Amino acid sequence: MSQHDRTHHASIATGKGDPQCFEGTAGGPPKFKVGERVRIKDMPDIFYTRCQVYTRGAVGEVAVVTHESPAPEDEAWGHVDKSEWFYIVRFKQTDLWPEYPAAFANDTLQTEFSERWLEAV
Amino acid sequence: MSHDHDHNAPAPMVDEISDFEALEIAVREICIEKGLFSAEDHRKFTEFAEHIGPTPAARMVAKCWLDPEYKKLVMTDAIAASKAVGVDYLNPTGFGTPSDYTDLRVLEDTPTVHHVVVCTLCSCYPRPILGFQPEWYRTPNYRRRIVRWPRQVLAEFGLTLPAEVDVRVEDSNQKCRFIVMPVRPAGTEGWTEDQLTEIVTRDCLIGVALPKPGVTSNLELPVHRAAKPAQH
Repeated sequence: MSQHDRTHHASIATGKGDPQCFEGTAGGPPKFKVGERVRIKDMPDIFYTRCQVYTRGAVGEVAVVTHESPAPEDEAWGHVDKSEWFYIVRFKQTDLWPEYPAAFANDTLQTEFSERWLEAV
Repeated sequence: MSHDHDHNAPAPMVDEISDFEALEIAVREICIEKGLFSAEDHRKFTEFAEHIGPTPAARMVAKCWLDPEYKKLVMTDAIAASKAVGVDYLNPTGFGTPSDYTDLRVLEDTPTVHHVVVCTLCSCYPRPILGFQPEWYRTPNYRRRIVRWPRQVLAEFGLTLPAEVDVRVEDSNQKCRFIVMPVRPAGTEGWTEDQLTEIVTRDCLIGVALPKPGVTSNLELPVHRAAKPAQH
């Protein structure tokens, strides 16, 4: 009978926090810097992702380099041995929604991605 | 298939419970049976969780308005700063539940940028410092529309922003959770931290309202006076 260790996560995150408990596990510095323009890749997502469809293919600007963590596509299945850098990317709303009123062209939206979803523009 | 059912059957008193509610009860009962926690532990935890309110976050904002040094700490390390308002993010419940070990970031409004928070995937929310989400925050209606028509949805909350204020939606879809630090409103000059804390309501911290002197609650309970009060 297989036993899943249900307290594993609490034991690594208590006193440190999650994602903070994965600090230093991405195996290198972040690939993108604040201010850099990036495009969200439109990759297939089977079973699980946290990369919203409305951002796929859009170009934005890195607003914050947040932390290191396993990507949700892996972590959802208990694979926590590999981490990635995460980025909050800022988009112009008019780049996300074709009908967004031009009168509010400076309105923005921010959301977060793991590094695998980003490519330099 | 027969078709002789009663067309005048009364509507059920209670709607069916959702799949998720059934799942929660099933998982809870299994945990109690296995001895992971007791029914009393569960009751205590529920009571604990329901008592967390937005007050620590409101105080954090009020302290930032008054103390530039504290504000610097909030903007660089909100987790450390939350200890000053009585919240230990790294041991959020003392019970070891993992779902609240998240990063906390504070979104600072300016006179020209207004932030509003959503989680389009589910209903991610900084629970250790704000308590449970309001019901509307969890609805697909809010989650789908605020990212796409933020000004219209904010207007439905009674917040109409002028064109010179840019709206910035934060979709909190990963391990960061967010609160909004609104601009300190006019008319609060010389106020104490306690006075300022009172006007930073939960809705201000999510970004669907702005603090106003005199408004200390999201909820204005209407009082329906009896039309023909009984005289005793």
